[in-house]
Amino acid sequence: MAATQFIVNGLLVGALFAAVAVGFALIWGVVDIINLAHGEMVMLGGYTSYWALTLVTGNAEGSPILFLATIPIAIGAMFVVGYALQRVLVSQVIGTDIFLTLLVTFGASIAIQQLAIQAWSANPRSIQVSFASPSFTVGGVVVPKMKLVAFVGAILLTVALYAFLQRTRTGRAIRAVSQNPEAAALVGIDVERTRAITFGLSSAIAGGVGAFIGVILNIQPQMGLIYTLKSFVIVVFGGVGSIPGAMVGGLLLGSVEELVAGFISSQWTLAVSFSLLIVLLVVKPKGLFGEGVSE
Amino acid sequence: MSTETDDSGALRSLVPPEQIDRLFSVCDAHGWKLLAAGAVVGALPPVLGLQQGYIMTVLSEMYLFAVLALSWDIVGGQTGYPSFGNMAFFGIGAYTSGILFKDFAVAFPVAFLVAGVVATVFALFIGAIVLRLRGHYFAIATLGVLLAAQQVSRNLDITGGASGKILLNGPDGAVFYYLFLGLLVVEAAVVYYLSDTRFGFVLNAIRDDEGKATAMGFNTTYYKTAAWGIAALFTGFAGGAYSLFNTFINPQTAYNGAWNVELIAMALLGGSGTVAGPIIGAFGLHTIIELVESHAVGWQLVLLGLSVIVTVIAIPEGVVGSLREYASQMEYYKRGGMAATDDTAEDGDQPDDAPPAGGDSA
Repeated sequence: MAATQFIVNGLLVGALFAAVAVGFALIWGVVDIINLAHGEMVMLGGYTSYWALTLVTGNAEGSPILFLATIPIAIGAMFVVGYALQRVLVSQVIGTDIFLTLLVTFGASIAIQQLAIQAWSANPRSIQVSFASPSFTVGGVVVPKMKLVAFVGAILLTVALYAFLQRTRTGRAIRAVSQNPEAAALVGIDVERTRAITFGLSSAIAGGVGAFIGVILNIQPQMGLIYTLKSFVIVVFGGVGSIPGAMVGGLLLGSVEELVAGFISSQWTLAVSFSLLIVLLVVKPKGLFGEGVSE
Repeated sequence: MSTETDDSGALRSLVPPEQIDRLFSVCDAHGWKLLAAGAVVGALPPVLGLQQGYIMTVLSEMYLFAVLALSWDIVGGQTGYPSFGNMAFFGIGAYTSGILFKDFAVAFPVAFLVAGVVATVFALFIGAIVLRLRGHYFAIATLGVLLAAQQVSRNLDITGGASGKILLNGPDGAVFYYLFLGLLVVEAAVVYYLSDTRFGFVLNAIRDDEGKATAMGFNTTYYKTAAWGIAALFTGFAGGAYSLFNTFINPQTAYNGAWNVELIAMALLGGSGTVAGPIIGAFGLHTIIELVESHAVGWQLVLLGLSVIVTVIAIPEGVVGSLREYASQMEYYKRGGMAATDDTAEDGDQPDDAPPAGGDSA
């Protein structure tokens, strides 16, 4: 019985991990960059929603509708940040040593994180929504309302991104650049702009998820790195460049973490996920669904 | 320091370009003299009566960081396996000596030696796993190792959990000063010596093209694991000394993620793949960070992030690398610019090929 509850909790949170990881995988696939500042987009998205709500209500409390209204703001703001990050920083090092690209994004991650501490202090904050309690109980399993809303929101964001990539002209350009940048340039696609849009989109989805995380968990300036690494675990598990793989990986990671927290201790969840990362990298670097990238 | 490369006129009159390559060239007697001179100058402050205090602490930390940056560079710069997890060895060393000293009443010198050994054993074990990976995967796996180690020591009883351990009654400050200086000198000598041996050449060959190095019949696994072990040995010693020097350790200080970036930045800023580069980078960046920390607390990490970005974009070769490139360009123009550029000069493995005397080109 307890196991079912843990798995349900895990799936609910796992969808959020998955949505963050989808953005991470998108940048990796299209721009060929491991964006170590990806987690900071989650953090900044959370703060954007938090401050937008505070601006309206005076404190970070509000009705569900008001909270949901802040999500497009977080998404839009993070699109701009991601777009600028690619244009200003990442485009300078594309095509050089892989390590330099890692370092630039890591440097950006530290700078953003520390600026956030300076601006908003290191205290964890959370967004309070008025109808949060009581929870539903379905067949003996407790489902907190806000977790359900966040779950649905994360799934919607992922589906929207997927539809965008499949249906729109820009989406097709993004897929073309991910397959072959030179050929895409030859047929008239502005590769640099497409990459910047990709960065913007993946940051936007991370920002939207950050707002949901602000409601069900909490936000603080140093939270980012953990989400970046979880994204890496998920992408390695699901396979680089595979959105369905990232979804499954995210749900699975959430479940594993909740099971560890439930049966062992919540202190061990991070140690277990990082160890899982190392094991996965060695045992199955190509992932479950991906075609795999050798370098 | 970075602006000097642009200001070529002033620089040229200060240091003739022909001399630059000689100054940093990897293997000739000149480097040994430089190292010996550095050791003597470094040994002076306590003799001159400076026993305790702020300056001694800052200098000790500076040597400590130089040891860490140089260790990182053995694997990151010389072998081309950029690790984000070197602080794991540091933390394991720090906890080993701390636990031995406090809980088992082991004398500090013994605890210090054991710390290096334990860190090395751990590194060889982890290395056997992660050194099979390359590029992105290696970097992230090592970051994962660091965070996993941090989480484990946060959850165990023997490490004192999240609150850590207080370690009083260790040796006094001057002992640590000489210990860190000694570690730096010994490590610099080892790296300097190795860079003129087959071992060093194979490491650079792995960096340039591991496939070819394997095809030439070198057991690259052996070489990179050995390099990883050497790096961990010195990092572990540094950690083993640091815990008692600092008189306190907890998971945050022992596995300091910011330091991990700092030491990479130091190696890159100075010039990775050289001996002088990481040391110069460590002295320079630590001085700047110390100044920022004493005038604007909390902003030093912002500066760190920005300096990493600026270094990577503006001078990816580092100060030493850029200077050497500049020197070889000058040489090229001086010879009339007819011959093809000499690829080998970049590697710095050449014993200085008799730079033309009388470098008064300014």
